[in-house]
Amino acid sequence: MSFLLDAQGIGITFGGLKAVQDLTVQLPAGVLYGLIGPNGAGKTTAFNLITGVYTPQTGSVKLAGQTINGLRPHQIAKAGLSRTFQNIRLFGELSVLENVMLGSHVRGTHRLLATLLRTPGFVAQEEAMKRRAMELLAIFDLARMADEQAKNLPYGDQRRLEICRALATEPKVLLLDEPAAGMNPSEKKSLSNTIREIRDRFGLAVLLIEHDMGLVMEICEQITVLDHGQVISVGTPKQVQADPKVIEAYLGVEGSGEPSGEVSHA
Amino acid sequence: MDEFFQILIATVAVGSLYALIALGYTLVYGVLKFINFAHSDVFVLGAWTSFTVSVVVLNKIADPSGVTPWWVVVVAFLSAVTVCGVVGYCIERFAYRPLRKAPRLNVLITAIGVSLLLQNVGQITGPAVARGPEKTSIKDGQTVTQAGDPLATVPFGASPKSMPKLIENVVLNESVMQSGNLAGGAMRGTVVFDKPVTFSEGRQYRLDVTRTVANADGTTRVVVEKLNLDAEPGTFEPGTEIRTTPRRTAAELQGSTYELIRSPRVPIGLIEVIIVVVSLSLMVGLQLLIFRTKLGSAMRALSHNIETAALMGVNTNFVISFTFVLGAVLAASAAFLYPMKYPGLNQTAHGIWVLLGLKAFVAAVVGGIGNVRGAVLGGFLIAAIELFGGWAYAPLKDVYVFALLIAVLLYRPNGLLGRAVTEKV
Amino acid sequence: MKTLAQHISEISPARAFRPVAVFVPWVVCVLLALAVHFVSPLLVNEYWESVLQRMGVFIVAAVSLNIVNGFTGQFSMGHAGFMAIGGYIGAGVTYYGSLILHGSVGDPNFAVQGTLLMLAGLVAGACTAAGAGYLVGLPSLRLRGDYLAIVTLGFGEIIRVLLELTPKQVSDAAAVKASPIVSFFGFNGATGFAGTPAYANLFWIWLFVAITCVIAYRMKTSSSGRAFLSIREDEIAARAMGVDLTKYKVRAFVLAAFFGGVAGALYSHTGVNPSPTDAGFQRSFDIIIMVVLGGLGSVSGSVLAAMILVLMPELLRDLQQYRLVLYALLLIVMMLVRPKGLFGVKEIWDLSRGDRKQPVGKGGTP
Repeated sequence: MSFLLDAQGIGITFGGLKAVQDLTVQLPAGVLYGLIGPNGAGKTTAFNLITGVYTPQTGSVKLAGQTINGLRPHQIAKAGLSRTFQNIRLFGELSVLENVMLGSHVRGTHRLLATLLRTPGFVAQEEAMKRRAMELLAIFDLARMADEQAKNLPYGDQRRLEICRALATEPKVLLLDEPAAGMNPSEKKSLSNTIREIRDRFGLAVLLIEHDMGLVMEICEQITVLDHGQVISVGTPKQVQADPKVIEAYLGVEGSGEPSGEVSHA
Repeated sequence: MDEFFQILIATVAVGSLYALIALGYTLVYGVLKFINFAHSDVFVLGAWTSFTVSVVVLNKIADPSGVTPWWVVVVAFLSAVTVCGVVGYCIERFAYRPLRKAPRLNVLITAIGVSLLLQNVGQITGPAVARGPEKTSIKDGQTVTQAGDPLATVPFGASPKSMPKLIENVVLNESVMQSGNLAGGAMRGTVVFDKPVTFSEGRQYRLDVTRTVANADGTTRVVVEKLNLDAEPGTFEPGTEIRTTPRRTAAELQGSTYELIRSPRVPIGLIEVIIVVVSLSLMVGLQLLIFRTKLGSAMRALSHNIETAALMGVNTNFVISFTFVLGAVLAASAAFLYPMKYPGLNQTAHGIWVLLGLKAFVAAVVGGIGNVRGAVLGGFLIAAIELFGGWAYAPLKDVYVFALLIAVLLYRPNGLLGRAVTEKV
Repeated sequence: MKTLAQHISEISPARAFRPVAVFVPWVVCVLLALAVHFVSPLLVNEYWESVLQRMGVFIVAAVSLNIVNGFTGQFSMGHAGFMAIGGYIGAGVTYYGSLILHGSVGDPNFAVQGTLLMLAGLVAGACTAAGAGYLVGLPSLRLRGDYLAIVTLGFGEIIRVLLELTPKQVSDAAAVKASPIVSFFGFNGATGFAGTPAYANLFWIWLFVAITCVIAYRMKTSSSGRAFLSIREDEIAARAMGVDLTKYKVRAFVLAAFFGGVAGALYSHTGVNPSPTDAGFQRSFDIIIMVVLGGLGSVSGSVLAAMILVLMPELLRDLQQYRLVLYALLLIVMMLVRPKGLFGVKEIWDLSRGDRKQPVGKGGTP
């Protein structure tokens, strides 16, 4: 079986600390895949390895058959992998529209002379970027705020704008790093609908890091659990929930912490 | 070879000054993560303060013998330290603290602003605080008294000044070859020894002559005078006339004693030793402060994570202020020592100061900014590059320094001893 | 959902070709330059004309620095270095070119050819500066913020020292003809390079002011401009979205250095002798103050700030001593009360629309 995203045995060590070790994540097309684990388990590091922020020291990453480990982040984005960030990283001073238009940057051409002379090709591309951005914003119900500065948006809208911007890069696989962090239950509800909707609409595979077990168990079809940089369990939500190693990792590490409670009743 | 060692000694002296200034950059960077561009101007302020205070004090006591009492040195030093400390505190309190949460670029620009402010305020010619002797002239038959020329003003004015000599730069490793009684030769400006003397090739010789001089009121006093010998290499029998400068007559030298002194191949001056000793003790003190005291651990906590430190009960405002004052005090110490070695004081906005500050900053970066030992290492390294490079080809000495900076940053972006800081994604 | 390529293919060429947007700004540039050239002599005396020339030069310098410091957020402190490169090369081409072609410098009969030489020198100077910009831009990939500031500051100082080491100026036409390449680097060391005729009149200077502004504004309101701004806002997010940091940082440096070189070359043709200190940090600071005051990222802000800061010393002539103190205070107070400068990233004309955003993707005509 061929996978859209195929990370085989990736790992990295920071000064003796094995942040991520021998991680294998395989996403078929159209899957909603969860990557969970207690705090400090190496989830975000795994994202950084896949997106090229760090270069994996071991293993390989393939996107639709193309090897992407070792490429620089912008090349990986071009190959069709896009992401959001745990701590929101929007371009605060730019407008909402410009944030999304920047997302389609990677699909355009940007010749200096064309830019300075305003050639028809340049104008058409700008126009197309704008149209596409507006369409995306409409999907996320952000279109009416297109001219606002991104930093002035409410928190939940900023999270959704980040997803919107990531989608503008026309990704094959979308990586979401804690998209529901800081959202209230009703926002989470609508977020999980949105994630499903964009998966269906864009035919993406989505890899999701999330602390909210309810959300993960509800929408993910496959889950990998990390602890101390190592995979401790892989399977469907039901299988993972039943895995004693997972329960131990959450209870053992975090005591009566928030995610553990949710594992038991989700 | 002699020249090599001379440069080596200069490197140690200049390097410790660079290190002292670099420490100020590094301390502030350590806790606040930004370059205090105004640091070199605090240094300049220190140099000018110690100049102004010395001139005022020397003008007040006006000792005709020209001997500077030891306490003038202490007063000059303390005033430089106090002024710089206060200014350092004010800079942090009023310019940087309001921007603590602002983007780094804004803080950088503010720092440039503060730097320009200090430079240009220093260059305003203010009222005189010390004046030369009053001038009298006769005009239309009347005696007109004019105020003397200003010797020092506050602010310091737009012309360079020369630091008065507070400490005589005695050469420490001279050797006394022989001593005895000295007589004048038949010709003025020659002396005659009572024993055979030998002068070696390529060495400098000097006579310290102790003689009695008559005062105007008939009393006498004993003075020690330094005469340079102008002699060919070789051995001379007693009675040979040897020329000296300044020239003295036989009558003047009547009944005097001498010490024949050979200058060392590589002279080590008292001032150089003072510079190195003071600098090194300050560095050791700083090291102890940072690693052995509670305040020091608070500083280290802050440099690790300012928010967490605050949560743990560290009074961050106090520690930051303290760090600024500490940096300013180190700069002031360097500023007090610097004009002893290089007495020419340029006006505060002169490019030479900016360049000096930049080199100290480069030292901090090369060593690994935020790292106290790195700043010291960098200081000596920069001095070595500059002085030895200048020995090879002087016009490019500034280029060497910046070339080293670029090379180090490209191969070790965090400096030689710096630790890698990765931005959390 | 349609991809960008599909969207582009749907837009008809007729719709995309906008003659007004393409040609009008350039016509406006020429008209503005002509207007300044012919109107100002009627209004002001020769002294103020020279002030207008200097103003134009510093507008070009400030707007070009804004591309690096404002748009891209890379803090360059060596802009004077680029200006000096442009200034010396430009002056050298005109001076030695005149000697070779005409045998003397500044002959009124040679003015037309001289002006052409100036333009050639301008291009040569700007391209050399752009090459230097490329070299300085490369370390910007590895150095962030303060470090880059120091390296660029060091760059300016290196240029200054190298200029001080240049050999004596050659004024003998025969000697220049005998060894043109060697003579060309006779920039007269620390004394400064004298005798370049003042071919850069108000027309040429203000033509380049207008061109620089149009180009800077078009950069800003384009996909490349958004890439610049995204780097300034968040490098990590920018590269995750597919912005090639290397390419855009270097592009920003090259563009800024190119127009910095233009400014320098124009300046050395206004009767001001270029000297090595022109490459030093003091001049760089002057330009930085203009950019910061006008607003990092605001083209019109830089223009206005450059105008104000060139005029201020003229108006404060009696307070010469306090002028720089005033600048410094201005900078500090600005950062405390209006940290984004007068206009921030916005343009003057955006302000009239209340707190709304600047126009996006309009293919803007400034």
